[in-house]
Amino acid sequence: MLLEWRQKTAVATIFIYVLGTTFLIYLVFQGNINIPTWIALFWIISLFTTVNAVSKSFMKDANEQFYYLRNIASPVEIILSKIIYNAVFITFLSLIIYAVMALFFNENVEDKKLFLLTVILGAIGFSNLFTLLSAITARTQNIVLLAILGFPIILPLLLLIVKMSGLADFSISQQDIYVNISAILLLDVITLVLSVILFPYIWRD
Amino acid sequence: MKNYWWKILCIILLLYTVIVGFTGKIPELNILEESIRNLYFHVPMWFSMITLMFVSMIYSLLYLNKSKIEYDIKASAFATVGFVFGILGITTGSIWARVTWGAWWVFQEVKLNAAAAALLVYAAYFILRGSFDDEEKKARFSAVYSVFAFVMFMVLIGVIPRVAGASLHPGNGGNPGFNSYDLDNSLRIVFYPAVIGWILLAVWIATLKVRTIKIFRKIHKLDIE
Repeated sequence: MLLEWRQKTAVATIFIYVLGTTFLIYLVFQGNINIPTWIALFWIISLFTTVNAVSKSFMKDANEQFYYLRNIASPVEIILSKIIYNAVFITFLSLIIYAVMALFFNENVEDKKLFLLTVILGAIGFSNLFTLLSAITARTQNIVLLAILGFPIILPLLLLIVKMSGLADFSISQQDIYVNISAILLLDVITLVLSVILFPYIWRD
Repeated sequence: MKNYWWKILCIILLLYTVIVGFTGKIPELNILEESIRNLYFHVPMWFSMITLMFVSMIYSLLYLNKSKIEYDIKASAFATVGFVFGILGITTGSIWARVTWGAWWVFQEVKLNAAAAALLVYAAYFILRGSFDDEEKKARFSAVYSVFAFVMFMVLIGVIPRVAGASLHPGNGGNPGFNSYDLDNSLRIVFYPAVIGWILLAVWIATLKVRTIKIFRKIHKLDIE
């Protein structure tokens, strides 16, 4: 189901987008930022890149491909494969952003494993939400709609992962880490279940 | 009488809330002082909003199951009125914050930000409704979004403040809840009727909204079933 890899241009576009945005921020901030700003910028870039990347997820399927997909797969298979693909893609993008930011700014994360875990959990949550929402917005002519629908809805997750990333400067205690991770996991599960349940209603024409 | 007894009850309860709420006995507390009367207005606004959004979500689910446009009309009407109550809730809260916490908006207060985000979630719902031309698609897609929105609304106002831990609201982040102030039950005897009264009023307005939409659709020869 990973049709998207065929769209190499789209993937390249996103890479250049990441590079460009990070470079722009580097110049605007004149090269030095503190840790909370670093974390905030990291997730903001991630979020905007995600919106850009995922918004294409259903756009291409507008007509012929849509009917083709409908014939060969059930809605649940389609949403799951799209979510998995997007989650992997977003994780990958986040790591690229991380690498680019580490290149330009100093690299600040102390506990890399925990940070990676946060990135993966965050990417899954992003993917769950934005895949479903992009399926909704692909049917409208309104391009900004994905951002309008997505940003407030993603906010709980974003708050949690930003707080989680606070471990970069140890501003978060051990017990808080478990509370936060379980809250993020809970959100991931809720959004995944909702997406899978609700998607069939969007998918039928 | 059979059908509108609750409307009479609503009027009586709200009259009682306003009269007793403004003149009744209150516990004497520093800082809060007379502003504690806002308890009868600010808190019930949120309860009303939650109730209406819940009803809206139920109608959205019904729509997804039965595909009757009537359910969509009800879902959107309840969400609209719920949104208005949310704005009232945040306004009364902001005024109260100015009196007790010293600012209209307090960043450290996670509930404020969560509530604002919740309002944005529902604002997006109306934008979404506006971006479809096709009636059936609009109803179906916004019903899907509405279910999503309600769950996230619950997360925003239910989960996030608890995880965040720090809040200036009573009963959060180590602050004493209102129960501990209310030693002689003088708040409670107004508060509970106020909650019921405001919720009834909200539902009443929403049903009126449903009727106006139906009349509008009848005039324009649109389907109302």
